[in-house]
Amino acid sequence: MNENPANNLEDELRRRLRPVEAPEGFTDRLMAALPAQQKPVVVPFTPKASRPSPARQFGMPAALAASLLVAVFLGMQVASDRAHDEEIARLEEQKGIAASQELMQALRVTSQKLDLAYEAVNSPPTAGDEENRS
Amino acid sequence: MNARIGFVIAALILSGPAWAAPKGQLQIPEFAALADKADEVVTVTLDANLLGMAARFLSNEDPEQAKAKKLVSSLTGIYVRNYSFDSDYAYPKSDIEGVRRQLNAPGWSRIVGVVSKKENSNVEVFILADGNKAQGLAIIASEPREFTIVNIVGNIDLEQLHDLEGNFGVPNLGIEKSDNPAPGKPSTPIKPSAPAKPAAQEKTK
Repeated sequence: MNENPANNLEDELRRRLRPVEAPEGFTDRLMAALPAQQKPVVVPFTPKASRPSPARQFGMPAALAASLLVAVFLGMQVASDRAHDEEIARLEEQKGIAASQELMQALRVTSQKLDLAYEAVNSPPTAGDEENRS
Repeated sequence: MNARIGFVIAALILSGPAWAAPKGQLQIPEFAALADKADEVVTVTLDANLLGMAARFLSNEDPEQAKAKKLVSSLTGIYVRNYSFDSDYAYPKSDIEGVRRQLNAPGWSRIVGVVSKKENSNVEVFILADGNKAQGLAIIASEPREFTIVNIVGNIDLEQLHDLEGNFGVPNLGIEKSDNPAPGKPSTPIKPSAPAKPAAQEKTK
């Protein structure tokens, strides 16, 4: 005899939960009770038709236009800088050539005057010519 | 403190002319009024920057330019005023006297002075000497219809100036080292810091 109440409860549960054969005709009755199979309803999904924002609509063309402008501006700037540098180099060259010509002219004038002094110092005094030399 | 600041300011003011104009540079008037009267004007003002620029454009292939390039490498300025007129004494002598007075300053020596009474011409060559190096050269040449003032500033190597002989027609004026005068050439040794000789000491032949 098993007197343990826990064992009794377990046995009772086993007894109650044991597989039981369905009564005869149960399957037919169940199938008859089910409604006829219907086609699933297809609900079409229509996304909300939203208007694109101006930023999205014009963003790309604006960026392209800006890039183009920047490229043109930079190109003009580079060309302008190059032209400016060339102009400065040209002016410096002109100035340098003019300075070198002036230098040669200055040396010629200097030599002419030194020649004059040299001739005056070295030439014998002529009659009636009073020269004061040192 | 105030006295110290005053001293510094005074020192700057007094030293001003020293740094304003390099040693050997004369204050040459612009002679702007003469430009209209003159038949021919040669005005050359080349400071150190312009001389450097000019030297870059002198050719090493041309012997004349190569020597000039070598000569100017140590110079800090070349100033030339040359005016020619079609009438006698159309220029004020006082302007020239003003330049000549600057050459009475200590250090300047007159190495050549020629006064021709027949031609009424006067050529003087001055040098600001420092040992064998000349710090400045000045030429004042006046004739009835022409006057010229030349001022060359910087370390003028007298031997290089000599090297220009035959190139620009620069003659040997006896610009020699005092310890080695060339024989047979009119030698006027440079006496450093000798004061400019007054005209009264000129030798009359």
